[in-house]
Amino acid sequence: MSLDWYGAWQAMTHHPLFGAGITLGAYQLGVAAYEKTRWVFLQPVLLSMLIVIGVLLLCGLSFADYKVSAEVLTLLLGPTTVALAVPLFLNLRRIRQLFWPTVLTLLLAGVVATLLGVAFAWLFGAERIMLMSMAPKSVTSPIAMLVASQIGGIAALAAVFVMITGVVGAILGPSLLRRCGVHHHAAMGMALGMTAHAVGTARAMQESEECGAFAALAMSLMGMVTAVLLPLAIVLLT
Amino acid sequence: MLLRGLSWLVLCQLLGSALNVLLLPMLPGPIIGMLLLFGFLLLHGEVSEPLHVAASSLLKYLPLLLVPPAVGVMVYAEAIVADFWAVVGALVLSLVLSVVFAGWMMQRLIERQQRQREDA
Repeated sequence: MSLDWYGAWQAMTHHPLFGAGITLGAYQLGVAAYEKTRWVFLQPVLLSMLIVIGVLLLCGLSFADYKVSAEVLTLLLGPTTVALAVPLFLNLRRIRQLFWPTVLTLLLAGVVATLLGVAFAWLFGAERIMLMSMAPKSVTSPIAMLVASQIGGIAALAAVFVMITGVVGAILGPSLLRRCGVHHHAAMGMALGMTAHAVGTARAMQESEECGAFAALAMSLMGMVTAVLLPLAIVLLT
Repeated sequence: MLLRGLSWLVLCQLLGSALNVLLLPMLPGPIIGMLLLFGFLLLHGEVSEPLHVAASSLLKYLPLLLVPPAVGVMVYAEAIVADFWAVVGALVLSLVLSVVFAGWMMQRLIERQQRQREDA
């Protein structure tokens, strides 16, 4: 009797839950590795991303296959974005007291973050389509993808740049801020949320609830301001 | 409990998607949904227990939900490799500068506001 090993393997790797399954497994490994070592470079998102890519390459699956079979998780991203309104509301009093610092930082530092990215990439000789995919790098990926395609970039590339920015921001952000003497939790949250969006916000929530609330606020405000102003600015400047 | 809260979140997301098509094509559905929920909470004045449970359970797993979009990096490996140093250099440099600038500016403004309140 010969067993159909190949068929069994195919049934497993092409199951509609395979992507969700390996993501869950990889994430738990990532969290365990981070908690054991506390090493900043082992951010759970980064590590799980690498593990998932490794598994996909080993199984000969494409990103398109994975995307379909990880849809259970991707679908929850929408309601989770909506859920950010709750920590935002709970810390409203503290945010209200700091209304002007928040608004001024958002506008000035938001422009700085966007301009610096594009300016450096231009200086280093990246192409226009790259520049336009990179301009919305500091905002959460659904907004960034939309804005990028509006201003002549590639939506998926924008998602990648957003992700790199977020992961690097979560890895370097907190220690960089401490080294530069930024200790106020509202200021740390603000900086992480507006430059490193959701990944920065997730990282800020590990610091403290206040830090997380400001990060969530900064991320959503930065997203809205970018979505409205960036396409306008590009139209006016070109 | 959890399910009732979750229903609210999904409802806001769905309304957000509808408004996105009707009125606000520049804002994604989930962001409009978040604004709707935020507006509702402002009117209501408090977070109900089911909503709090659902929101904090989902937010606890936000990093997990971000893994699938992150895996998208593998598709653009070639395009990124071609412009690798320009892209990564620009992303990292601008990030480092703007994180520090945003944090520094916010802290300075907070301290200034506190001093003004003490003086007043």
